Amino acid sequence: MTQPPRPARPARGLFLAVLGMVAICQRATVTLWRQPVLLISTMLFPVVYLLVLGNALNRQLSGIPLAVVDEAHNALSAECLRGAMALASGRSLVDVEIVADRDEALERLRRGRFRGVWVLPLNLARQGPAPAFIGDNTDRFSYEAVETALRDVWNEASMPEGAPSAAEAVKLEAYPYLDYLTYLGPAVVCLAIFMGSMVSGGLQVIEDRMFGYHEGYLVTPITTGALVTGHIVAGAMVAALAGAVVLAAILAITPVGVAGGGAVAPALVTIALTALAIASVWFLLFARARQASVLRGMFGIINALLFFPSGALYPVESYPPWLRAISRVDPLTYGLSALRDVLLRGAGASACYAPWVFLLTFTLVCGVLTTVLFRREV
Amino acid sequence: MSAIEARSLTKRFGDFVADDAVSFAVEPGETYGLLGPNGAGKTTLIRMLTTLLPPSSGEANVKGHDVVREQAAVRASIGTVSQAVTTDENLTVRENLSVQGKMYGLWGRALSERIDWRLDQVGLRDRRDQVVRHLSGGMRRRLEIARGVLHSPSVLFLDEPTTGLDPQSRRAIWDMLGEMKKTDAELAVVLTTHAMDEADYLSDRVAIMDRGRLLCEDSPEALKRGLATGERVEVETERAITEEDRGAIAGLGAVNWRQPAPVVAQFEARPGEGVGRRAAELLEKQGYRVLHLTIAPVTLEDVFFAYTGRALRES
Repeated sequence: MTQPPRPARPARGLFLAVLGMVAICQRATVTLWRQPVLLISTMLFPVVYLLVLGNALNRQLSGIPLAVVDEAHNALSAECLRGAMALASGRSLVDVEIVADRDEALERLRRGRFRGVWVLPLNLARQGPAPAFIGDNTDRFSYEAVETALRDVWNEASMPEGAPSAAEAVKLEAYPYLDYLTYLGPAVVCLAIFMGSMVSGGLQVIEDRMFGYHEGYLVTPITTGALVTGHIVAGAMVAALAGAVVLAAILAITPVGVAGGGAVAPALVTIALTALAIASVWFLLFARARQASVLRGMFGIINALLFFPSGALYPVESYPPWLRAISRVDPLTYGLSALRDVLLRGAGASACYAPWVFLLTFTLVCGVLTTVLFRREV
Repeated sequence: MSAIEARSLTKRFGDFVADDAVSFAVEPGETYGLLGPNGAGKTTLIRMLTTLLPPSSGEANVKGHDVVREQAAVRASIGTVSQAVTTDENLTVRENLSVQGKMYGLWGRALSERIDWRLDQVGLRDRRDQVVRHLSGGMRRRLEIARGVLHSPSVLFLDEPTTGLDPQSRRAIWDMLGEMKKTDAELAVVLTTHAMDEADYLSDRVAIMDRGRLLCEDSPEALKRGLATGERVEVETERAITEEDRGAIAGLGAVNWRQPAPVVAQFEARPGEGVGRRAAELLEKQGYRVLHLTIAPVTLEDVFFAYTGRALRES
């Protein structure tokens, strides 16, 4: 075709704005599609995170090396020994070695061979002397677990014969059993959203500025508002995709107590709205930044400020007031709580309305702020 | 109505004056070359005209729209090809133009037709589905130009369009821009360059810029003819040229003499007055046999030198 086509009548106003946003999203999607490594790593990272954290944290402790020194050699010390052996053979909490000499046991404790030494002193008796536990308190988790278990052994062994045991307290779980891995699931979806929005939103905006692509946008008639909205939506699209894929992976590998298929729709809406909110944070932060080093510098801080205060790994209620204040304005807190409600507690969509309103408002405020702060100049 | 009218356009960055009261006008269909060394203020000037930088003082209209008050209208009537590479290397040739077209409100069939037409013009039709990363530098620059004119703007800003390209690619882009002038007769082009041959070849009028000021503007020919000297002449004869004959040549208007050998006369003359030819005729009339006559034409480099006292490449 060498003849010029008929003169086009270009769109104006709102239609132009929509076309501009479509163009930005088109570019973001195609770019990501052509860089599958980026897409895969965005989704892989949170899943790896889930598997490693879920398996590394909150595990039943086991195999802690413990020395038992029996200096009493009486019936009570034999009872205590049996109790300690039961800890080793039953739930494998400890790995017991009977050591004859107290000094030798302590020496080996200092050299790291044992995490604890349990001394049953001469003349061990109910009224005293009682056993002594010398533990390696550099590792708080093992120290406390072994100390508690040994105290229980002593309490049981030293109980007067025939004394009635206390009534067992009633304990009921309100929801189906959840292991820590499952508990982490929604947090990992949020992490995927965070990563996805960083890769497609934060990084993209800065790269565009550095390489000059942005200049190509800025000299076109598209309004600043449409440009900002387009970038937020484009960033959120990729982030939501990452979140949805990770959700599917989690549903496949962990026994999340999804209350039927009904939980999926509200979960997806929550993912989309959380993605919009997080993408708007990135764009607000980088409304004026020009260097990729800013992003590298900010990533750790933003991760710490958005991910951890959200209650992803530990309940928000136990935070100190200043941290709770952060978590109250952190969009991830709301996304996460809505996801936990629908996925773990089987609550319906109505439980999500309040978080959804927060996330939408948050996005709107960030978007307006960004539009005001955004400079069309280069 | 002029395509561009700038009046005392000034840009300051702190104490540094990037553009100092620059005034000029570009008519529709005209190619206006801004020639100057790096740092002369060309890019800043273009950025003000394309709404990317607000002027510190002065004013400018593009297609009758004020660059400060009517930015949206200005943006709708311009196309830019900047020094920065503004095509996305992960997108195909076509996808890049499709994204760009939507930014200008083009869509659907009108957009596809336009993309094909412009790709034909820049010779990239058969590469339309190729990812930009795999294009050569010259092709990529042609794509940038197609992107700049996709929406048929009234004014096209070309910022250093051939910097970093090999001679063949440069020539191809020059030819392509020449062809484009035929289909876009009303298109005003503002070209910035520090390559004098490019400014000379492409521009209807050239303005020489240095240190933020516009020193002169006219057609390349008029600028060259306007110089008092610059045409370099060298005449070599079979025997030594006498002082008397040298004086006669000087009387024709030869200045800036150099005498590398007694049989050679080297001088400069006012361009376009045939001093070199007349000097050779004079020598032959005096019985010399002229072995060589070289007349080197004046270039815009000489014009730049005449106005700034420096060579362009030294700047």
